[in-house]
Amino acid sequence: MRSIKAIFIKQAKDIFKNPMVLVLFIILPVVALIMTQLVAKSNDDIPSNMFVTMMAAIFAGMGLVTAASGVIAEDIERKSLRFLIIAGVTPYQYLIGTGGFYLLAGTATSVVFALIGDFAFTETLKFLAIMITGTAASIILGAAIGMLSKNQQAATSLGMPVAVIVGFTPMIATFNETVAKVAGVLYTQQINVVVNDFSVSLARPLLIVAANIVVFTFLFALAYKKKGLKG
Amino acid sequence: MIKMSQVVKRFGAQTVLSEVTFEAKEREIFGLLGPSGAGKTTIINILTKQLDADSGSYSIGAKMLETGLMLDADGLYVRLNCVENLNIFADIYGIPRYKSLEALKNVGLEESAKKAVNAMSKGMRQRLALARAILHEPKVLFLDEPASGLDPATARGIHKLIQNLCDNGATVFLTTHNMEEAVKLCNYVALLHKGKIVEQGVPAEICERHNAVKTVPDLEAVFIKLTGVELE
Repeated sequence: MRSIKAIFIKQAKDIFKNPMVLVLFIILPVVALIMTQLVAKSNDDIPSNMFVTMMAAIFAGMGLVTAASGVIAEDIERKSLRFLIIAGVTPYQYLIGTGGFYLLAGTATSVVFALIGDFAFTETLKFLAIMITGTAASIILGAAIGMLSKNQQAATSLGMPVAVIVGFTPMIATFNETVAKVAGVLYTQQINVVVNDFSVSLARPLLIVAANIVVFTFLFALAYKKKGLKG
Repeated sequence: MIKMSQVVKRFGAQTVLSEVTFEAKEREIFGLLGPSGAGKTTIINILTKQLDADSGSYSIGAKMLETGLMLDADGLYVRLNCVENLNIFADIYGIPRYKSLEALKNVGLEESAKKAVNAMSKGMRQRLALARAILHEPKVLFLDEPASGLDPATARGIHKLIQNLCDNGATVFLTTHNMEEAVKLCNYVALLHKGKIVEQGVPAEICERHNAVKTVPDLEAVFIKLTGVELE
């Protein structure tokens, strides 16, 4: 437990000194706020929370995958992870400590999205449920990408296309039915599904997100087995 | 304390360690000497369980948590300051955080406790990496080229600290390609060339065996005689 706490605190201190990552948690809610206030609220043809949904999906997918993969690839590249593991930290403690912080930070950002979306109480709970599980999926996916990457540059090369696919597919799905069908298996699309109709049951979207988490955890385990501490 | 017996390690078709056998006794400074690429870091990686040997046996006489490690890559968190870097490990080891300041004082970095790692010189970073290695007062210390690339004054400071650690009961296993450093610091050395131990013993005795004692024991001459290779 103390290892997880130590890594959690390290991430918390590090993020405030790492503007490249910090900005990912700020910029998308800011864009959602501006677009909602300036465009959506003055245009009856646009759903009032369209930009919130869009930016939240991009944040959960793209932002967090990029952040998690970058941080883990950096720890591998600089051999910091090696020293942690020699000090007795297991890979899963590292993942929980690092991921736990990003989950908390992602939850805070999700609350901001919910406030911008001006959701009712039950809608907010549903939104947070799908965002938090989606955030967890993104972090594990990012961790697997980070673990597979030799360095931060490689993590960007590998992570960016993946992040673009998971982050932007829900946006494209809004305008294209075929993409919407394919996107049904993606955790980020479930944010769209829930926010577009808060009356739908959460069971199916959560099940899809859980399935994504299982697949990504398996990927992380494979990546760790393949790469280990070699970096 | 630290034993390796008939250890073989291959990377693909290349044999990097060939039947390596040595023993480092408790409370001594054991030096593994050889040029770059001789296999020194591979031996440390095997002893610290970062790599598996293909065959042979080895033990370090301590649990992994009772070991300290300093590698060529320092693994420091560059955006955090010195004390924050050490506090992470103090928390992991479950030791009080004031030990971080003590460790910084031991390596002469107490004035730089709040300095970010990315604003520090190579010598300071190496001292911080050493502080992290000794933070939990390990029984066994593995130091990979601890004074490599440092100015003479900083190197002397690190040598003094290593000697103090040994005097206080730690067993130190260090690698170096600096023969002078080995003669000054080590109680026992093993000379490694192309993955093989070509000689081992007390530095002065090795030099005597090979008629390499001039005004000071000259391990470098022994190495060149045995391998034909001149150290850079």
